[in-house]
Order: sequence, then C-alpha cells, then structure tokens
Amino acid sequence: MSHPLLRLRGISKAFGPVTVLQNIDLDVEPGEVLGILGENGAGKSTLLKLISGVYQPTAGTIELDGQPFQSLDPIEARSCGVAMIPQEFNLVPSLRVYENVFLGQEIRRYGLLDRRTMRRRTVEILASLNVDLNPNLMIGKLSVAEKQMVEVARVLVNDARIVILDEPTTVLTDREVAVLFDVVRSLQSRGVAVLFISHKLKEVKELCHRLLILRDGRPVELCATADLTEEDMAYRMVGRELAQIYPDKGSTPGDCALEVQGLSVPGLISDISFRLHRGEVLGLAGLVGSGRTEVAEAIMGLQARVSGSIRIDGKPVSIRDPDAAHRHGLAYLSEDRQGKGLILNFNVMQNITALSLKRYVRGLIRHGAERRQAEHYQERLAIKAASLRNPVGLLSGGNQQKVYLAKLLDIHPRILLLDEPTRGIDINTKQQIYRLIRSLADEGNAVLVISSELEEIIGLADRALVMREGQIAAELTGDQINEQDIMLYAAGARHRDSGAPEPALN
Amino acid sequence: MSESRTFGSQLLSGLRRLPIDTSLLAPLLALLILLVVSSLASEFFLNTRNISNVLRQVSYTGIIAIGMTFVIIAGGIDLSVGSMLALVGVVLMYIVNAIADPVQAVIMGMLGAVLVGALFGLFNGILVTKGRIAAFVVTLASMSIFRSLALYFTDAGEITTRNPLFNNIGGGFFLGLPIPVWTFLAMAIVAHILLMHTAYGRHVCAVGSNAQVARYSGIRVQRVIMSTFVIAGVCVGVSAIMLASRLNSVSPSDAGYFYELDAIAAVVIGGTALAGGRGSIWGTVIGALILGIINNMLNLMGVSPYLQGLMKGAVILAAVLLQYRRNT
Amino acid sequence: MRINTMIKKAALAICLVGASTLATADEYHIGVTVPSADHGWTAGLLWWAQRATADLAEKYPEVTFTVLAADSGTSQVADVEDLMVRNIDALVILPHNPATLQRVITEAYEEGIYTVVVDRELEEPAQDVFMAGNNPGLGEVAARYMAEELGGQGDILVLEGPSIPINSQRVDAFNRVMEDYPGINILASQNTDWNPQRALSVTEDLLGRFQHVDAIWAGDDDVLMAAMRAIAENQRDEIQLVVGGGGSQEVIDLIRNDHPMVKGTVTYPPNMVASAIALAVHGVKGEHLGDMYHGVPSRIILAADLITADNVEQFYEPDAAY
Repeated sequence: MSHPLLRLRGISKAFGPVTVLQNIDLDVEPGEVLGILGENGAGKSTLLKLISGVYQPTAGTIELDGQPFQSLDPIEARSCGVAMIPQEFNLVPSLRVYENVFLGQEIRRYGLLDRRTMRRRTVEILASLNVDLNPNLMIGKLSVAEKQMVEVARVLVNDARIVILDEPTTVLTDREVAVLFDVVRSLQSRGVAVLFISHKLKEVKELCHRLLILRDGRPVELCATADLTEEDMAYRMVGRELAQIYPDKGSTPGDCALEVQGLSVPGLISDISFRLHRGEVLGLAGLVGSGRTEVAEAIMGLQARVSGSIRIDGKPVSIRDPDAAHRHGLAYLSEDRQGKGLILNFNVMQNITALSLKRYVRGLIRHGAERRQAEHYQERLAIKAASLRNPVGLLSGGNQQKVYLAKLLDIHPRILLLDEPTRGIDINTKQQIYRLIRSLADEGNAVLVISSELEEIIGLADRALVMREGQIAAELTGDQINEQDIMLYAAGARHRDSGAPEPALN
Repeated sequence: MSESRTFGSQLLSGLRRLPIDTSLLAPLLALLILLVVSSLASEFFLNTRNISNVLRQVSYTGIIAIGMTFVIIAGGIDLSVGSMLALVGVVLMYIVNAIADPVQAVIMGMLGAVLVGALFGLFNGILVTKGRIAAFVVTLASMSIFRSLALYFTDAGEITTRNPLFNNIGGGFFLGLPIPVWTFLAMAIVAHILLMHTAYGRHVCAVGSNAQVARYSGIRVQRVIMSTFVIAGVCVGVSAIMLASRLNSVSPSDAGYFYELDAIAAVVIGGTALAGGRGSIWGTVIGALILGIINNMLNLMGVSPYLQGLMKGAVILAAVLLQYRRNT
Repeated sequence: MRINTMIKKAALAICLVGASTLATADEYHIGVTVPSADHGWTAGLLWWAQRATADLAEKYPEVTFTVLAADSGTSQVADVEDLMVRNIDALVILPHNPATLQRVITEAYEEGIYTVVVDRELEEPAQDVFMAGNNPGLGEVAARYMAEELGGQGDILVLEGPSIPINSQRVDAFNRVMEDYPGINILASQNTDWNPQRALSVTEDLLGRFQHVDAIWAGDDDVLMAAMRAIAENQRDEIQLVVGGGGSQEVIDLIRNDHPMVKGTVTYPPNMVASAIALAVHGVKGEHLGDMYHGVPSRIILAADLITADNVEQFYEPDAAY
C-alpha cells in the first residue's frame, strides 16, 4: 500500500493559551475500525473537528489519500470522503427518509426532482446495510436508531471513505447497538475506514481493531485492541485511580428530607417511591430515556398530570410550579444547562440571582448587593470570568456549570436535585463539583444526583436507585453500587426480587 | 480587512471604554451625527420652536415605542398599535363628547383611553399566550380588526370635539415644552426603572432570552408575556390622548397610520434585538428622536418629497449597521 | 480614515444643498403641502405642485417655494409645523383629512400666514382662499352625457370611491340626474377605494354577475383604466360606453385616439393645486388677478368640464403625471 487513507503528523491545536491537543501522529488504513477513547475534555472532539475540517490545526499536517492539507475546510474534507455522523443528527424532521438521504444532493432529471431514482437508491443503500426501512416515512416518525441509519445512508450516498461515528451508542438499545455494529462491519468490508468514538470500553473492545487513547490532549496509547484489557483502557484514560477524583463518602444520614410516594406521570414514569435523607447523596442511575429527568421534573412541578404524593420534612406538600418548589427548599439543576439552566446573554451576576432576585429587591433591585453576592460565589466556587458583567455564554462549560450551581445555592436550598451535574466539563472542575456536592451533604442538605456516568454514581453516591422504563428497578447500597449491578438492573437483565433486597419503604 | 473597518472598530473600541452603557453607543453616535449635520444644514433647526415641534412630533410614536420595547424584549411584536391608537382615539372622543361637564369629560376620557388601551393589549396578550398563536399573526389580525371597528363606529368620518379644555393637554405647554414631551419623558423614566431596576424587568428580559430557562426558574412566562402587551396598550392609550387632544380630533382612517412601523423602527434603531432578550428604553427614546429629526431635517432642507423615503431608510440602515458591527 | 472623509463629504454636500436653498431666500416664501403620491390623482397633484413651483420661481425671482408630501394626516400636521418654523409667508395645503389638519391650519392662519386650502374644506374656515373642483358637477355632467349617449336606455355599472364626502357628492349628483331617465337601469354601485387593484377585482366580479352591461361610469380615471383591463380580459364587447372622472392623460389619450368604448371623461383636475399656488403668489403680494377690481376671491370652484373627442386637444398635456 503506497499511502494510508488518513495520515496525521504532529497535529497540535491550541485555543489561545490553552493547548487542547498535542502532537498526534496517526495513520488510518482503508477497512479499518479505529477506536478513539478518552474522558470528556481529553481532546476527542477536537481531533474529529480537525479531521473533518471544522478546526484548523495549530501545528502539524493532515494527509488525506496522500494529499497533504495545510488547512482543511469542511467542504474540502467532505469532497475527500470524510463524513461525520454527529451525536445530534442533522436531519429535517418534516421531510421523508429519501429526501433526507439526498438533501442538498438531489438527483434531477430535466431540472426536476427524480423522486423515483432517489427512492430506489435509498432502498438499495439501506438494503446493503441490512436495514429494512420505508423510504417514504417522515423522519419525525423514526426511532433514534433508525435516524442514525438514515445518517449512515446519507454518508454512503456521498461515497464517504472515512466515517466518523461520535458516541453513536449512547442513545441506542442493546439490540440497536448490535444492528449498528453490523452496519459498521459492512462499511468496513467495503474498504471504508471508521473512526469510532465511545467511552463504553466493552463496545470498543468488541468492535475496534486498533485504539487511540487520549488524555489531556496527549496520545497515551496507540495499539491493537487485543493488547489491552478493559481495565488497562480505563487506567490509561483516567491516568490515576478513580477513587482519587471522588471525596470520601461516609456521612451518617439524618432525618428524611424528601419522601416521594407513588409518583406517576402517564407515559413517562410510574409509581416512583423513595426517600432522600439529610446528609445523604442519593444516586439515580438508569439508561437515557428511563425517566430519571422526569422524576426530578415531576417533583419540581415541571410536568403536567403528575399524581402521587410528596412530603418534605414529613409534611405533605403540593407543588404546582418551580416557584413553589423553590419555596419548599427544593432546587433543580437541569441536565440541559444552556437550554433550561442559564440565560446565555445575561451576565454572571444576573444568572446567579435569577432565582433569588426577590431578596435583592427593596422596591428596586439593589445592584450593589447583587454584585457582592456574585463576587462571593465567584470566590467560593472559583468561577473564572473576566468580569461578572460579561454574558455567561462567553464562559467555558465548566464555569457555566459553576454559575448554574451558584444560581441554585443562592436560594439556600435544603434539597438539591442535580441532573447530570458534570456533563461536558473537564476533570478538574468535575472534581471541584464532587467536593461541593459532598460538602453540601455534610452540611446537612439532601442531594439527589442523576447521572449517566456509572463511575460518578459509584464514586459519589451513598445509596443508589436504578431506573428502568419509568420505574425504580432497584435500590443499591454499599458494595452493591458497582458497574455490573447497576447495568444489570438498568438494562433489565436482573429484577429486584432476584437480586438485591426489597428497599425498605413503608 | 479594509482600512475603514479597522478604523471603525478602533473608534468603537475606544468609545466603548467611556462610562456609558455600550449598547447605547451606536444609536447615540448616530443621533449626535444627525444633530450636527442638521444644525449645519439648516439655520432653522436649532430654533427653539423647531426643537419643541420636533420633540412633540416624536412623542406620539415615542410613547408607543416605549410599550413596543417591552413587547419586543419579551420576544413578541405588536403590529396593532397604530390601528389601536385610532380605535382608542375614537372611544376617547366619544367619552369626551358624551359628558357635559368639560372637566369631568376630559378626566373620564383620559382614564377611559388608558383603560381601553390596556384592555385591547390584554386581548392581544391572551390570544398570544392562551391561544398559543404567534404574536405576529395575532397582532396582524387585531391591526385589521381595530382599524375596521374605528371606521365602522364613525362611518369613516373624523370626530371632533368642542370641549374647551381638551386641547390644553396635547396643545399645552409646561415650562416651555409641550405637555406631550413631558409625558414622553416621564413615561420613559418610569419604563426605564421598570425594565432595569425591578424584578419584573429582569423577568421580561429572561422570558425573551430563553422562555424555557425562565420557566425552570419559576417565572410565570405566560403572565409576563401577557403583561407586556398590556403595557403596550396603556402606552397606546396615553399616545391617543396626546394626539387627539393636540389635533382636537381623531380621524379613524388616518390616526396612527404606520405608527407600528415607526415604533418598531425606533426600538430597533435603539439597539433592542428583534429576537428579544435585551434592549433599553433610552435606546428606544434615541431611536424615536433619530426618526423624528430625519423627518424634520428633510422638511427643513426642502429635500424632494420623492427622495425623503430614501434618506429615511438609509439612516435607519446606517444606525442598525453601526450596531451590528459592534456586535460582531 | 475613509469613514471620516466620507462623513465630511456627505456633511459638506448636505450643507451645500441647504445653503443653496437659503441663498435665494428672499421676500416671499411659500410652503406647499399635499398628500403623498399613493394613486394616480395624488401623483398628478405632486407633479403639478412641483411643475408650478418651478415655473413660478423662474417667473418671480423674489418668491421661493418648498413642496412637501405627507403620507398621513398626522405627518402632514408635522409638515405644516416644520413649514411654520421656516417662516413661510403663504401656505398652500391640500389637507389629508380636514379635521385632523383643522387646528394646525388655524394656527398658521392666525399667525398671519396667507393660507390657501385646496379641494377638501375645513369645518371651521381658517383660510384666505378655498379652491376646489366641482364634485357634484362631476357626477352631474357625467350622468347627463352618458344618458344622452345611450339614448336614455341601458344598464349601467357605477364604480365608486371610498365613503368620504367627495365621493358621495359625486355619486348622489349622478343618481339625481339618472332619476330623470327611467330607461336607465343602475345595476350596481360599488366601492373601489379609487384603487386600481381593488377596482380590477370589483369590476371582474360585477362583470361576472351581470351578463349584459351597456355602460360603466368610473368616478376616477385610474379606476376606469383598471375596469378596461377587466373588460378586455372578459371580452365584453357589448359594452358601448365607459366614462371616467378626473381627466388623466391616459384616458385623454384614449379619447384622442377614438377608443370604441372610452369616449368621455369629466375634469377634476389635479392641476388645481398649481392654480392655487399661483393664487397664493398674487394673494400674498396683495395683487389682483388679471383685470379684476377685487383682490383674490375667497372661494373658487373650478368647472367640471366634459372631455370628448370634440375638445380633447385642449386638455392634452403629454408630460403630466396625470
């Protein structure tokens, strides 16, 4: 073979003074599946964006098919056969499957759309992937997995030669994952190179020939998958023992702060009952779509048609909207920081006081008091912001998350419901947030942590609930909180009565 | 990058260090340029009488633009204000003519105008929030409804009044300035405080920026949106009082004609984002002044009536371009 | 740098424009304000105002003019205020809506400005001269001409204007005359707002409704042109006669060229504003008109002239906008 399909030499990328990727060398051959592993913030997505031309490298060269590029732009990359299937699909929900497959590259006859040919080719492509899908269906009607297949078909219409799959399995069921893997293998047999990004070690082990492991922007390992066990991979990704990241557990739980009985939202969650104690961090695990977020939203009065009862400090309460929830000492951190948490064009100060504004009003808003409080949080949470008057949208994800936490803390909540509190932020900030969560519990507050990252539940929670299909599948304590047990319950492979003891609820 | 662009950005970044709210900078700059050019171009411009005329001409649409600012910041738009002004004006004239005692007639008329304006605003607001129809569509429809009702009640004829006191409101002076100007100023101050220094104002901005975040933060989003339309209606009521009493008459086909566009233009020139979420009352006041001064200057200079629209459009574009350059 | 010099140049240019209007400022300054050109007749109005001011400025170097056009009554109020700031000696105004303009015209008149009100009369007179076309006359002349052309027999469609006094004066006079001709049958009388688009669809509807029509009267010549389009598209050859109102050059041209249907129109000339400006020139100087023994009359109503093939040449003004 004269040259590899993709060759990176000495690739580095810096944003201002911050280096996010350093000295990457990589060759990718046709028909190869390369796994890219790394924690959030390790530089995986930056690497992908360099390959697909979204970013330009600060140093180093990219060669596609033997042709070197100084700076690659997305259009060039696409014309060289690089295709990316993003986590958020770029499909138009109001168009049909075949229309989406050929969107922007419609086949025309005499200037008019040739629907028949487009439909036929869509069927052919889907069939070659062993996917049976009606090309006339509206995208909006498809499942997530089917949408993903449409994205793959779209890529194949383009004769892509390097396909990048960015965490494709997070939103899929096991069966769908199996279908996806078949598709990847069939791509591979056509000589397409696949870059597979995931943090699910098992999948990587199963699918990939070779592995690139990134840590803090540096390549720490590039080897055949067979050479590493899953434990080796995890160790190389994190670079230290997991335990170090998490503060010590072990406070003694106090009185029951929040008791939920038979909480149901038709179609979303049913018969959720649990207790949350003062001084306790309760983990809430489960797959995406298992109803974890809906539980928190139902408690906060953000869901319609909620039934069931909620007691706070033993007293029954009725919560119809978030305002009422806040008055009862509840605070909720949404998983969607930018969509539901922060107002991006408000400044840091205005975001922090968004819930607690009443306290700063004596007829008019006392801007001075507001600013002093914001400065207090800036110091306490080590928020890095050039000015408190800057829009919060200009801050990094980690600092935005701290501002969001400060917003909750400013109403002095006694019960915190934190939904994915460390999503999309770097390891150092994560560690700070874990410490904060623990110290909040130690101060006698009750904390519920919803997380998709098993390590987070394992490292942080005193007790864990596992949800599956809108119900609580298990309550785990102590040593039961481990990756295997959580997954077994979450995926429905084990049921409550066969394994763990019945949770003590009356 | 062209030379002028670097110069422009240097100039703006220099100005930005001045202790003024940066979002006001572009419209303020445009206003200053316009003032200098106008006073150079016409000897009559700085004439006291002209200044008081311009301010009075500006105040009718300016008062409406203040209400429009709230609606737009909360993410809506109100196209009905011009027609609403005609209908409120008609109601106002009916009340003034129906009550025999002139003092009582004027007081009741003013109260009635503000109340009716608020009700019409509420009508728009309810359709937008409870009816879940886009504000553009609701107010497009009510624009047509209000104008039509005004024409129907009056058979398209102008209404006048013989009330001897009525004209003293819009036509009167206080400390050398017309009363509509004082009213405009007072409303601007109140609106500014409401927007920048109260929890309500913060909520309006939050709702316009991201209604979802506002909801998750315990803000009653629907109520806030509805209230902005009521504010717009109240402003229309006040403007109707000023205009009708100045002219001592209301023409249902003509009153408030295209005021919605002037008000929206004033808001946009003033730096309020049409997408909502941020804006300022002083910006709107400056925007209204810019529009008023353009009209006045073109008239004073005797620019061809065919070209006046071009000049007006060009100044609007220039003022807005200045802003977008600042934002990028 | 470039922005700087551009602003300077622009300011300079604007100053020069301003200065040139000031340099000739002299004994008399006459302000003219009319509605802006939103349909043919008002376009003609503005055209004639500009033509007259250009002609008169040349003839009387001691008089200067400022012409403004307003798109609404309230903006016309502002225009009058602006003109007063410029110290005009005379005001010629065709008011958008008389009641809206009443106060500001009164203010001007009471300040001693020589005031000429054109076409639309104020409720409380506040002017030196009122000048208008003859609205009832327009309806009357048209009706009499049509009845005679049709020999007192026929089915007629009437295309009206909006419900304002001018229109009702025209239509009422038309109907009064037609009462004398029992053989004439008015099929329908509909509002077109004097707007060509509206007129086109109204005429289409009426032609669809009535299978036989002998004649159409359009109170406005732009409406007439729109109606002709509907007639042509529907191939309604049975229509013998179409009569207009206003006297636009387009219609005059049809009459000159012996159009088979369009044989007449009645003047309601937009150049009345030109005459009003001329009156103001003499009035403000205290002169007499021609050999009259009196000053400028306080009330002038122009005749409603019937234009037919016999006299069309004297109304032909190919440059005019209407």
